[in-house]
Amino acid sequence: MVVEMRRKAIVLIVLVLIFLVLPFLVSGFWVRLVTGIFMFAILASALNIIAGFTGYAAFGNMIFFGVGAYTTAVLMNKLKFPFFTSLILSGGVAVLLAIVLGLLLLRLKGHYFALATLGAAEAMHQIVNNLTDLTGGGQGMSLPQMRGSPFVLNLFFYFLMFFFLVLITFLVWRLSKNRLGYAFKAIRANEEAASVMGINTTYYKIYAWSLSGLFTGFTGAIYAYWFTYIDPPTVFDVMMVVKMFVIILIGGAGTVFGPIIGAFILESISELVWAKFINLHLGILGTIIMLVVIFMPNGIIDLVTKKRSFKGIIKYLRENKL
Amino acid sequence: MLLQAIVNGILYGAVYATIGIGFSLVWGVMNIINVAHGSFIMIGAYLSYTLFAVYHIDPFLSIPVVMLVLFLIAYAIQKYVLNLVVRGSVFITLTFTFGLQILIANICLLIWSADFHSVKLSYSSLSFQIGSVIIPYVRLGIFLVAILLTLLFYLFMRKTKIGIAINATALNLEGAKTVGIDVGNIYAITFGVSAALAGAAGALISPIMSINPFVGGNLVGKAFVVAILGGLGSTVGALVGGLVLGLVETVGTIFISSSYQELLGFVVLVLVLIFRPQGIMGKRFY
Repeated sequence: MVVEMRRKAIVLIVLVLIFLVLPFLVSGFWVRLVTGIFMFAILASALNIIAGFTGYAAFGNMIFFGVGAYTTAVLMNKLKFPFFTSLILSGGVAVLLAIVLGLLLLRLKGHYFALATLGAAEAMHQIVNNLTDLTGGGQGMSLPQMRGSPFVLNLFFYFLMFFFLVLITFLVWRLSKNRLGYAFKAIRANEEAASVMGINTTYYKIYAWSLSGLFTGFTGAIYAYWFTYIDPPTVFDVMMVVKMFVIILIGGAGTVFGPIIGAFILESISELVWAKFINLHLGILGTIIMLVVIFMPNGIIDLVTKKRSFKGIIKYLRENKL
Repeated sequence: MLLQAIVNGILYGAVYATIGIGFSLVWGVMNIINVAHGSFIMIGAYLSYTLFAVYHIDPFLSIPVVMLVLFLIAYAIQKYVLNLVVRGSVFITLTFTFGLQILIANICLLIWSADFHSVKLSYSSLSFQIGSVIIPYVRLGIFLVAILLTLLFYLFMRKTKIGIAINATALNLEGAKTVGIDVGNIYAITFGVSAALAGAAGALISPIMSINPFVGGNLVGKAFVVAILGGLGSTVGALVGGLVLGLVETVGTIFISSSYQELLGFVVLVLVLIFRPQGIMGKRFY
């Protein structure tokens, strides 16, 4: 067990070191690509806290991304706030939103919750779309560009995303061990039982969603400053959440590193397919999603740790077939 | 003005009901949130468009053909693929249908290109007037066919052996197996019927709405709202849900700017979910 832990720690340290030196060795294209993968990994990890740990499938999680992006855009444009102040305030706004929405929506269960969050996100999308004076409406909004050479800019956003990825991964790792995390998991396993055992389920559900919203909001803010242009359909894109769910499914729901592994796998495939077969890009992606669901519904971590063979999978499918 | 909006709302609402019924059926019976439902509607609209453009067949006449094609496609998907994962959690099946949706979008893109298409009927501008209310014949026809389909579906679920078997399977899967129902087949039929209704809805909207390969997502949003508004698993509920959505969208825009039209539907959805999660009609099973 100790040997196992030490081996894992070494692998982790080596990986972190690789990612620290990587941007100095490869071209700007690759730096931006990996920054994008980091972004998806953070978003998927954030969703993992509420969906994977707590069992509440927040299909509208992009609401925090959009609100984070727009908060930063408005603060930097209209009030001339510096980026880091805007970033932190964006996180704060996302948390406030999570608390208010959580009080309203988190008493719904199962798909009703999923759909209500979707409705809320779509409603927010329309509101931002219509607040033309503040947000520029459907025309979108440009942000002030950061000064510096492209190389410096690439490095800045790479390390900013990387910092948040390490931060959320550490947090989720702590959650997998501490009381707070156990409370989340107890809610997923059986909410009534958790409540009977003295867990204030409403409080913990809102806590989980706020954490999820905080990091999604931060990511939205970074995205806005990184791309220097945002518009409502992009930052409130529901399909992004579905993509995050696929990432979590590929990696393994409720695990610490699953979402990161999933993000790397899906985004690499996506990039490869995009470059080689632009006409069939969506079709291939769709087929991969369906195959993942059929052949590894518990994620790749489960596939590796349980050493499932191909025969085993087929047997499992036969047994579970209707 | 208000009267016209109410009439428009009701005319729209019947189509929304047709869109919602199939979606709510699949959800209620198999616990699958079928994100690809919008894609089935889209395929229906494309088939109807192609039959019109190539063979000059009126969309109203091509409905049976479209329904049959959609039934067969969906039957095969459920029977040979979806039944493998249908016992998994709802997010497994939801993600699966999402994959299906983008695959269908890609196929439609290759066949029909990304351009917008719609059926241009020679009689689309004809209308009649009752008092101050103008009713185009096409919209009235669409309304009547949508109501007819809803009625036929209601009778199918209540009076036919297969309909009763679907109800039985929805109520108790193990029980249905015990009395000798081939549930795999029933699931496939359920999915097929749902897709057939979606296809019919697609053919119905083809004269009044332009489609491209990416409208599926928008359409499935409507199906969501209708299914939730009405309450899962009730034909009458879906009809009520469709009419409510139609009315909210048209009447609501009299009072607030029409750019909020989409928002209204979702606000009503969230409110219904908070205050009456079982839906307006709130009764399970057909």
